[in-house]
Amino acid sequence: MIARVTHILRSLIFVIFALILCSLVFQIAGYSASTVLTNVADGAFLRPGALAQSLRWALPLFITAVGVGVSFRAGYFNIGAQGQFYVGSICAAFVAEWLSGAPAFVVIPACLFAGMAGGAFWALWPGYLRIRSGTDEVITTLMGNFMAGLLLVYVTSGPLKDPSGSGQQASSRPLEAAYRISTSSGLSVTIVAIAVAVGLAMWLLVNRTTFGMLASLAGRNPVMVRWQGALLWKLGITSFLLSGALAGLAGTIEFLGPNGRIASGFLPAHGFTAILIALVANFSVAGTAITALFFGGLASAALYLPVMAGLPSAAIDVINASIALFITARSKLLDKVLRIGGHSS
Amino acid sequence: MTDPHAPALVCQNVSVTYGPVTALEAVSTAFDAGLIHAVVGQNGAGKTTFARVASGLVRPSGGHVAINGHVMRGGNVSAARAAGVELVHQSFALPPSFTVAEAMEFGATGAGRFFTRSSLFARWRPHLESLDISVDLGARIRDLPVETQQGIEIARALVTQAKVLILDEPTAVLSPSGIEKLFERVRRLKAQGVTVLLILHKIREVLAIADTVTVLRAGRLVEGPLMTTDVDGERLSRLIIGDASRGLAAVDAQALTGAGTVEHGPTDAKPVTAAPVLKLSSITTFGDPEGPALQDVDFEVRPGEIVGIAGVEGNGQRTLVRLIADFAKASRGGVYLGGHDINTQPLAQRRSKGLRIIPFERNTEGLSLSSSLWENWTARALLEKPLLRLVNPALLRSECDAALKAWGVRYDNVAQKAGALSGGNAQKVILSREIDRDAKLIIAAQPTRGLDIGATAFVWDALRQARDRGCGIILISSDLDELFDISDRVNVMLAGRIVGTFTAPYDMNAVGAAMIGAS
Ligand SMILES: Nc1ncnc2c1ncn2[C@@H]1O[C@H](COP(=O)(O)OP(=O)(O)OP(=O)(O)O)[C@@H](O)[C@H]1O
Ligand SMILES: [Mg+2]
Repeated sequence: MIARVTHILRSLIFVIFALILCSLVFQIAGYSASTVLTNVADGAFLRPGALAQSLRWALPLFITAVGVGVSFRAGYFNIGAQGQFYVGSICAAFVAEWLSGAPAFVVIPACLFAGMAGGAFWALWPGYLRIRSGTDEVITTLMGNFMAGLLLVYVTSGPLKDPSGSGQQASSRPLEAAYRISTSSGLSVTIVAIAVAVGLAMWLLVNRTTFGMLASLAGRNPVMVRWQGALLWKLGITSFLLSGALAGLAGTIEFLGPNGRIASGFLPAHGFTAILIALVANFSVAGTAITALFFGGLASAALYLPVMAGLPSAAIDVINASIALFITARSKLLDKVLRIGGHSS
Repeated sequence: MTDPHAPALVCQNVSVTYGPVTALEAVSTAFDAGLIHAVVGQNGAGKTTFARVASGLVRPSGGHVAINGHVMRGGNVSAARAAGVELVHQSFALPPSFTVAEAMEFGATGAGRFFTRSSLFARWRPHLESLDISVDLGARIRDLPVETQQGIEIARALVTQAKVLILDEPTAVLSPSGIEKLFERVRRLKAQGVTVLLILHKIREVLAIADTVTVLRAGRLVEGPLMTTDVDGERLSRLIIGDASRGLAAVDAQALTGAGTVEHGPTDAKPVTAAPVLKLSSITTFGDPEGPALQDVDFEVRPGEIVGIAGVEGNGQRTLVRLIADFAKASRGGVYLGGHDINTQPLAQRRSKGLRIIPFERNTEGLSLSSSLWENWTARALLEKPLLRLVNPALLRSECDAALKAWGVRYDNVAQKAGALSGGNAQKVILSREIDRDAKLIIAAQPTRGLDIGATAFVWDALRQARDRGCGIILISSDLDELFDISDRVNVMLAGRIVGTFTAPYDMNAVGAAMIGAS
């Protein structure tokens, strides 16, 4: 318990450091750091309606990030969430197209299922290559992101092209209203329910099942788990599939919900933000929920800044980047400086 | 010039705490220069902690260390090095991905300098050869057997002109001949004026090599340094484990203290006639990365017997364990567990039939050091369940707590990382996991390596009790006294074959001869 609190505190301190660094950057760039930060806080949480907006961004991010956490815990650095997110949304879009005309209670579940299957498949082949022949999953999943991005371009300007769309950004035909699970505001009972269900199921899986415990042991020491008789490929492939499926699910939610269509290059930072969230939360499901809300707030602030405060939305990128910097630089030195209690490592 | 009789290393009221754990408490002692000093004590007594303080790795929370009369600012490795103290770790600390030459260079200078592969080779080959360590300088540390890794650690420590060399349980990973070689090396160092501190568990080794002995118990200094000429094995074992030594069976005490050669086998052995729990029939394996392939091995273990495997390390003992654990594959012959052909069965299935393994490599194969104790402990039970079965961590934690208490593990709480335990305590965690009621065949690979004499006797008792419950046990050990003390018979392995079978009363010379193929 104490260890957990310490950990959360430590992550918080990193975020605070990151904000200090950002302020420096803002000042150097000629903005008043305090203005930027108060506007970010306004945009994210304080202004009326901000919380709903932040939640809109936080929920899909949470779902993807939980999945990322599952594979990281098992010791596999699946950084292909972005690609799995895209492939999931593409599959869902195809299914919606094929089933067009069927009742919503058929189409929506079919889309959700297809999206998860698509995302899972996009994680399956890197997982298979990793486990079968040791191919570095960081490289294959990263490659998978580019492939999925191009696939999305092809699909939205080919088979699913919206002929009436403007030339600006190729996109699929808009989804019939009956099949949408939320309005463009992006918040609905269905989406909240899916996120809560995912959260509970994953919390149970990770903390309360044989699989969760063995996978996290295997992530720390696969040799020992192998000597206990575990089939590592089973744990590994399951982790890859789960993380892919959840990213695919998030892609499907964006498609069925707020976006109502898929467009080439939409939400290009989703997967990477999710990885960042998982890292900040140290792969704990509850921590991921809180962290996702924070990053959801930043995402909604990014939209608010240029419109309401006349500040560049790139400010949010700077904040994200510096948090990423500090989280990855959780070096021995910083740890030592921040050590609370003196006996954790 | 410092006074030659001045102590090389002085500890003044040294205390160390790790969070709630007191590892050392007000230890004051002094080690004379130019002698070989043994430091002994039970698992968790604080020996490693002491070594770390002396070498500047740990800053004492109280007191100080003085080297050759200079008081050291605690917790400063480079200062301790500059003063001439070098430590060879219990669990090795060489970077596993380095080559031998890189590890030597890195360890010696610690700084980044430009170098070429060949210049490194040229620099370090003579040094390693002068210490009798034959190794490919381009090999990666992680691919080397532990014996060689230790050799390199020692070589690294001896690069600088070490005045005080501390070796933390150096004999634990060595074969008897390796130990002889190490002792030779240590004596040569003494002749050169180096003060050597050896952390040891085996009383026989203490009496064989050390000039003085210092005993720690539960973080406190019990006595010492005492001249080894003034103590005998029995007194020393009493100092180490306190009153518990009275509970030792006379035969065990003899095996533990090395008072005379053990020849007896188990005293109450009766011939076992039940069908074998394990049977290997003319097994030949494919080549194995961890040792020679097995050649035509016929081997049986019956319920209720302990079969010892003697042999110089690297003669197929690991392959044997790996075969039974489904890591090495048989090219010919059959493996039967409880009468079933298990040759094609995965390890999980073999384990569900009662196979238990105490593996050679405690820190990698046996435990996940960065995971909590209770996770490590429950791994075996978890693997018998389907992957999606719900578990109750609170219950598992309390079960683990009870089991570890019953095994006398010294730990703080079950959420602690396994890596925070002392070496011997870590081994007890493995034992408590693998020796359970459902075990039918227990493979114990070096189960008492690094254990204190109390814990060693404890393990022997546990193995005997498992035998009496009807378990078949394979005991692989490089300690002949241990094998002779508790095995019902002893097989000798050489180059992947079983070259001899001996029963009590054991003939040390005959077994020794078989081990090197001189019979
Ligand atoms: N990093 C650590 N964090 C917490 N506790 C520790 C740590 N290192 C050691 N301890 C505790 O301090 C005590 C002394 O440990 P130490 O490793 O010095 O024992 P030891 O005498 O070397 O034992 P062994 O013979 O088993 O190697 C033990 O109770 C151990 O659990
Ligand atoms: Mg130790």
